[in-house]
Amino acid sequence: MKRRAPVALVLALVVAPADPALAYLKFGTTVGGRQVTLKWSQTPVRYFVTNVSVPGVSADDFQAAVGRAFATWHAVPTASIAYQLGGATNAVPGRDDGLSTLGFVSRPDLDRVLAQTSFLVDASTGALVEADIFFNSAFPWSVAPGGDANRFDLESIALHEIGHFNGLGHSALGETELRAGGGRTVLAAEAVMFPIAFAPGSTAGRTLKADDIAGISDLYPASGSAATLGTVSGRVTKNGAGVFGAHVVAFDPATGSMVANFTLNANGQFSIGGLSPGPRVIRVEPLDDAELDSFFDPSRQVDLDFRVAFSDRVVIVPRGGDSGEIAIAVVAK
Amino acid sequence: MTRARAAACAIVLCSVAAARDAAAQPAGATPGRFEVSGGATWIGRTSIGAADAGETTPSNGSLRIFSTSSDLAAAPEIDVRIGLRLARALAVEAETAYGRPELRVSLSGDIENAAPATAVERMQEYLIGGAVLWRVPGLQRPRLSPFVAAGGGYLRELHDRALLAQTGRYYTVGGGVAYLLASRSGWIKATGVRVDARAVVRRDGVAFAAGSHTAPSLGASLFVRF
Repeated sequence: MKRRAPVALVLALVVAPADPALAYLKFGTTVGGRQVTLKWSQTPVRYFVTNVSVPGVSADDFQAAVGRAFATWHAVPTASIAYQLGGATNAVPGRDDGLSTLGFVSRPDLDRVLAQTSFLVDASTGALVEADIFFNSAFPWSVAPGGDANRFDLESIALHEIGHFNGLGHSALGETELRAGGGRTVLAAEAVMFPIAFAPGSTAGRTLKADDIAGISDLYPASGSAATLGTVSGRVTKNGAGVFGAHVVAFDPATGSMVANFTLNANGQFSIGGLSPGPRVIRVEPLDDAELDSFFDPSRQVDLDFRVAFSDRVVIVPRGGDSGEIAIAVVAK
Repeated sequence: MTRARAAACAIVLCSVAAARDAAAQPAGATPGRFEVSGGATWIGRTSIGAADAGETTPSNGSLRIFSTSSDLAAAPEIDVRIGLRLARALAVEAETAYGRPELRVSLSGDIENAAPATAVERMQEYLIGGAVLWRVPGLQRPRLSPFVAAGGGYLRELHDRALLAQTGRYYTVGGGVAYLLASRSGWIKATGVRVDARAVVRRDGVAFAAGSHTAPSLGASLFVRF
């Protein structure tokens, strides 16, 4: 039996009904009562592109732009994921046809959804069978090298969606402000996997950040990288009780990079994987820069009532190991 | 007379006798070819880098989330040196030192008004290297021997229960003075105390920023010459 699950969208936000596993925010599914991480079991992963063009983006432009985005993920040296273009197809993204298809689909009803990735999962094993990405042609698109002020950058959005295609959930490494008419404006983000897209014209989303690289390296570790990369793990508490959904950021003072995850259970435990060895500073903040359902199932009770805090310890990421549990106590606002 | 008082008197008598021997030495004399010394050195605070945690803006700029400033706190180290006199005024030394400085990262300027904080880790630091000493000829006195020295070596810094080792290099330059307490004609040629003031330059290791990171150091040790 196979089941389809639409799992991620982008733009002025959307939904990632992920069932997170402890250790990086990855998509998961339950098989026989057991949590299984969604990922491709074989690479290269074959994908197809549709022949549909839209104003400003020909079918060839589309193929080239998504090809560059796939190549960007493939180029991460500490990850092993690879892709193969199967060719052009008349298939429509979102259909259960065994082809992982990327293409434009007009969905004016989804007025806040730039693009969406959906998965077909083998419910008996939890293995990924197919992943499709549609780009909403109701929005204006561009593949201009320097971006187009009034159009969304296709390569940037493709890079985000291919992150979902790989099995990655959303990152919360971003700052936003609420818009008067609803929704949020992104002030800055330090992860391609942040759930809200940059404004039209920006091409800043074409480059993977440390958080994205850590995520893909954790999900598909390259040969030998497990022995070189490490993990920070610990627990966030408030009044002695675990905090669920706290955003935990590991900052590297040597490189200026940030990699983050969440506390993912009622005990307040977190784990941030795919980190290069070295000292880190840990910052904990409430998850208040995007809609909560971009990260967690709406039924989960995310605690937002605490002040931003730093760990009083410099935490060490060992080579190929774990920091040992660190404890961070936060206080209510 | 208690045993402790007797021991104290004996030490004082020995010192007086030794000082008399030392005073009999000609100016600038450096009895013994080999020298072994051990003592403690205080190394001052070393700034090792500052960095902002920033996020990328839509125009590819950077929005600061918070700022960090890092240093190795001042700390004592214990050291051991073995020296070989090559000429009247020239000697070489092998040296090793061990200390436990704190790595301190100060956090401030948080975009969401987190209280400023300092994250701390106590490290282990090993220095293994050597130095060249030149006893300044015009300044030598019967018991006092000023010198200048320069050296360098290997730096090994171990984090948190030796979870991670970081290595680098260090260089020293400075000077000091050796004061002869006693000299004699036996197997042990002389004993004395020595004070060193140096600049310690660390490269790599735990340093977050590239380049050299300099700290003052002040050390005192006891030496024995053979």
